Amino acid sequence: MTVDRGTETGDEAAVDDLRRTALTDHHEQAGAKLGPFAGWAMPIRFAGTLDEHAAVRDHAGVFDVSHLGTVFVEGPDATAVVAATFTNDPARIDDGGAQYTLCCDERGGIVDDLIVYRLASDRWLAVPNAANTAAVVRALELATPDRDATVHDRSGEYAVLAVQGPVSLDLVDATLATLDAGTGLANGTSSFGVVPVDSAAGSGWLARTGYTGERGVEMVVENAAALPLWAGLVENGVTPCGLGARDTLRLEAGLPLHGNELSVRTSPYAARLGWAVKLDREPFRGSSALAAIKDRGPEQRLWGIQVEGRRPARAEMLVRSSGATVGYITSGTVSPTLGRPIALAYLDDPLGPGDRVEVDIRGRPTAGEVVKPPFLRRDG
Amino acid sequence: MTPERPPPSRRVRAVSETTPSDLAYTEQHEWIRDDGDVVTVGITHFAQDQLGDVVFVDLPDPGATLEQEQVFGEVESTKSVSDLYSPVAGEIVERNEALDEQPELVNTDPYGRGWLVTLRPSDRSQLDGLLDADGYDAFVTG
Repeated sequence: MTVDRGTETGDEAAVDDLRRTALTDHHEQAGAKLGPFAGWAMPIRFAGTLDEHAAVRDHAGVFDVSHLGTVFVEGPDATAVVAATFTNDPARIDDGGAQYTLCCDERGGIVDDLIVYRLASDRWLAVPNAANTAAVVRALELATPDRDATVHDRSGEYAVLAVQGPVSLDLVDATLATLDAGTGLANGTSSFGVVPVDSAAGSGWLARTGYTGERGVEMVVENAAALPLWAGLVENGVTPCGLGARDTLRLEAGLPLHGNELSVRTSPYAARLGWAVKLDREPFRGSSALAAIKDRGPEQRLWGIQVEGRRPARAEMLVRSSGATVGYITSGTVSPTLGRPIALAYLDDPLGPGDRVEVDIRGRPTAGEVVKPPFLRRDG
Repeated sequence: MTPERPPPSRRVRAVSETTPSDLAYTEQHEWIRDDGDVVTVGITHFAQDQLGDVVFVDLPDPGATLEQEQVFGEVESTKSVSDLYSPVAGEIVERNEALDEQPELVNTDPYGRGWLVTLRPSDRSQLDGLLDADGYDAFVTG
């Protein structure tokens, strides 16, 4: 078999150039397998992707996702800047609330999908994907010249830990208690709520958000607080998880990944994310283009496909119906929980749930059924 | 996501301890055990470690004939798929049917119950051209 080994001597320097999180040294000492991700050296797996995946579904797991951006919008007009930059309506949430939203370009293409947190009426935190942080910062800055607000990219100063799983809230609260960082914060915060966290090692925020389909929290903390928090969680029985498990978990939950399902070439309506676009408010970046796309309807839509057999479909494979190409796979794997292949795909309108298609898996046409994600329903 | 690719500086970890000296190897990370009439083929510990959790193995049926270095199957991990290359020309005698239900055997026991196929070489002289354990270790550690 072929193994992508990176044996060329030049790679040593390339790896040294990767950004490291506050926890990268700790991960290396723990034996994690690291890999480059959007310019960062990130843990791909610790004990193994399947074990980590099961830990999150059955118990609790913790992910170092410090490569995510931490961008603050501050000032009296902070809400107006967020409203002018992103597609969802920030007026719909109060202080201590969070919202899934999209950053689109003027043509309605998706620059990034992200969660914004309203820390105060004059202070928002945006958490974009690592690869898109610079683009989101630029988009926010386009909205500042006429408004009294400033944009601060503090991605290098904050670590982001996601703790996910059915018992995650109890284990987060137990850990925060041992760090003298509050009592009952995770259990006392409702879904898509955000509260401040202060510990001796550093401060930050705890939010009831995530990317696995399980209940859980994401914590944005100053770098100095990351190691005590990570170590405390692991000591309390939370399983260290890498980005490999994060990907299989989000795929089972039917959640899109920018770079796979989402790009500047796809619109929110094609991605079936129209619910995160609020056109009944003041104009925002891309709003006129999005209104036109909504009116005429997207030519393709993002659906799930359950492929028969055991071979998983993979990104970029073609989907056919009656011999004609009708779409392409954006992500695919064997679902660790279900034990069978699952995939997301863009399919020509009007294909949808219940339709039969064929996926060309390296030359072998493989039958599948179009389904509406998620592949796995959880009680959140 | 970008393809999994570990930092080279951390890549090499005591490979020799996990490279049995009684097997032959290829640069495509297969191992070959000469059982006399037939040879058994699998993938190495290094290969399974690079792949991560194996979730599906596609293997040919008995009777299939292969050229040397011909693709004869594939190994799917949670993240990626890798082709398998026949180390020598020959005919498939057996495929490891246990892997249909337990593909993880490739990870947990790569030189034992995680074997892939047995094949009958059509030209046994090709076995002489394979790497020995030291040669494979040297290849992997670069």
